[in-house]
Amino acid sequence: MGQSRAIRTIYDDPMWETLASGVLRLQQCCNCRSFRYPPGPTCHRCASPEHKWKPVSGRGQILSWVVFHRTYFDDYPAPYNVVAVKLEEGPMIVTNLTGKKPMGSWIGRSVELCFERHSNHGLVPRVKLAGDDHRNVED
Amino acid sequence: MSVEGALSRGILHRAAAIIGVGHTNWVGDAERTKRGEKPHTGIGYAALAFLDALADAGLSQNDIDGLIVGPTVPYERMGEILGINPSWSGQADSGGAILQACMAIATGMAETIALVYGNDQRSAKVEYGGQNAASATNYLAYAYHAPWGMTSQGAIYALMARRYEALGGLTEAGLAQVSVALRASAMLNPNALLRNPLTVEEYMAQPYVCEPLRRPDYCLINDGGVALIITSAERARRVGNKAVHVHGIGRSDLNTDASSLQGRLTDFYYEGQRKAAAASFDMAGVGPSDIDVIQIYDSFSLHVPLALEGYGYCRRGDIARYLTEQGIGLSSSRPVNTSGGHLAESYMQGWNHQVEAIRQIRGACGARQVEGCRFVHYSADVAGKCVSIVYGPGD
Ligand SMILES: [Zn+2]
Repeated sequence: MGQSRAIRTIYDDPMWETLASGVLRLQQCCNCRSFRYPPGPTCHRCASPEHKWKPVSGRGQILSWVVFHRTYFDDYPAPYNVVAVKLEEGPMIVTNLTGKKPMGSWIGRSVELCFERHSNHGLVPRVKLAGDDHRNVED
Repeated sequence: MSVEGALSRGILHRAAAIIGVGHTNWVGDAERTKRGEKPHTGIGYAALAFLDALADAGLSQNDIDGLIVGPTVPYERMGEILGINPSWSGQADSGGAILQACMAIATGMAETIALVYGNDQRSAKVEYGGQNAASATNYLAYAYHAPWGMTSQGAIYALMARRYEALGGLTEAGLAQVSVALRASAMLNPNALLRNPLTVEEYMAQPYVCEPLRRPDYCLINDGGVALIITSAERARRVGNKAVHVHGIGRSDLNTDASSLQGRLTDFYYEGQRKAAAASFDMAGVGPSDIDVIQIYDSFSLHVPLALEGYGYCRRGDIARYLTEQGIGLSSSRPVNTSGGHLAESYMQGWNHQVEAIRQIRGACGARQVEGCRFVHYSADVAGKCVSIVYGPGD
């Protein structure tokens, strides 16, 4: 086994640096205004290299979810969930739903970003159901 | 067909023919690896498969002037061991290798090409999830989401399966029919690793690996090798009557939004499959209704319904009815993965599907032979790289 590892190229570093203060910023293309994720050198829509790092609204919708019943990382003992969330800005992120869990299907549920401390990665963005007053965990 | 008709199909239409297929003893080697033995390395399996394919083709080493090795073996050492110093070479996965070989033959870069694949993934304890997940250097999506515990291709397909169900695809019991049907076919295949029966009830009783997928939705992981000998259709005519022609072939890659997984979850690769299908069917001059057997790259059971819809065998949203009423087993009108595929025969990353396709057209599949099989369609959509091949009779 072993710990989960983050892929951090020079394009990812600016994102991780502000995650540490509880802000998820993504690159927005200066030319066509589209957001991209994972971070990269140029815009896949219009090929412009010009971009600005912008905080996202934190609002999104669950596209899909799974529950791991097998453990692959020491820092993620099963069972745990993984959700795919389509952000309001366009990109989709893969993260975890924390706090209250919906009854029935999770797909289409509105969620908002929250930040939780992970043993290796520091503050990581997760999501909670919109309106859930679940407190961000700061262990 | 008129000369104009043939030309309009493109230069790859029936340019190349498969004249030899070979593979290692998957069942025997699985028993040995289970006992802790290490029968061969990937190179060794590939070399043994090559000898088998060469004998099947009735050729010798010196007849080979082109070589493609699979992604899991190093090219130079492989060529050195096989004793092949080719005029043309490459390294590719199964579908890509066939496409490249057809192109090399059609352009005259090589006449007779050996395609060899070997993998010791079981005995080498290759992992497909976790810190050392295989292929993570080639596919960012396989590693990028690890800080949230997301890992393994199985989990990616689980995300797809959940959304697919919500969009009107298959329930868990509906998806179970894929593993159940392939297992039933594998029971008639002496080369298949899993030959015990599986029912929907037994499937549903299995624990989840990554919910909603269970162990029977995942491919096997075993050691072995496969080799194919491809030559020009012209040379195949001189060699004998076992040739199976490549009637059509197409490829379409979807790279946009691959790393975030958004592409898979919004389109399920339908667009890539549609384009690859159109290219290969147009080239072959046949359509889905002419296909007798379908071979689908099935690292996970979900590939099967997605391909049946994506390639036009079944209307989108109609898959549950299709599986129940028409079915995909040997008694259905168009069986899928007649050998048991990756789920039940052997996980040779698409290479064993080519062998089964050739043997079905040759009429050499024994108890699982599909009567009067003329056209076999192979489809792969690994990570959105869609390859579609239509195999058909020689002259
Ligand atoms: Zn742009």
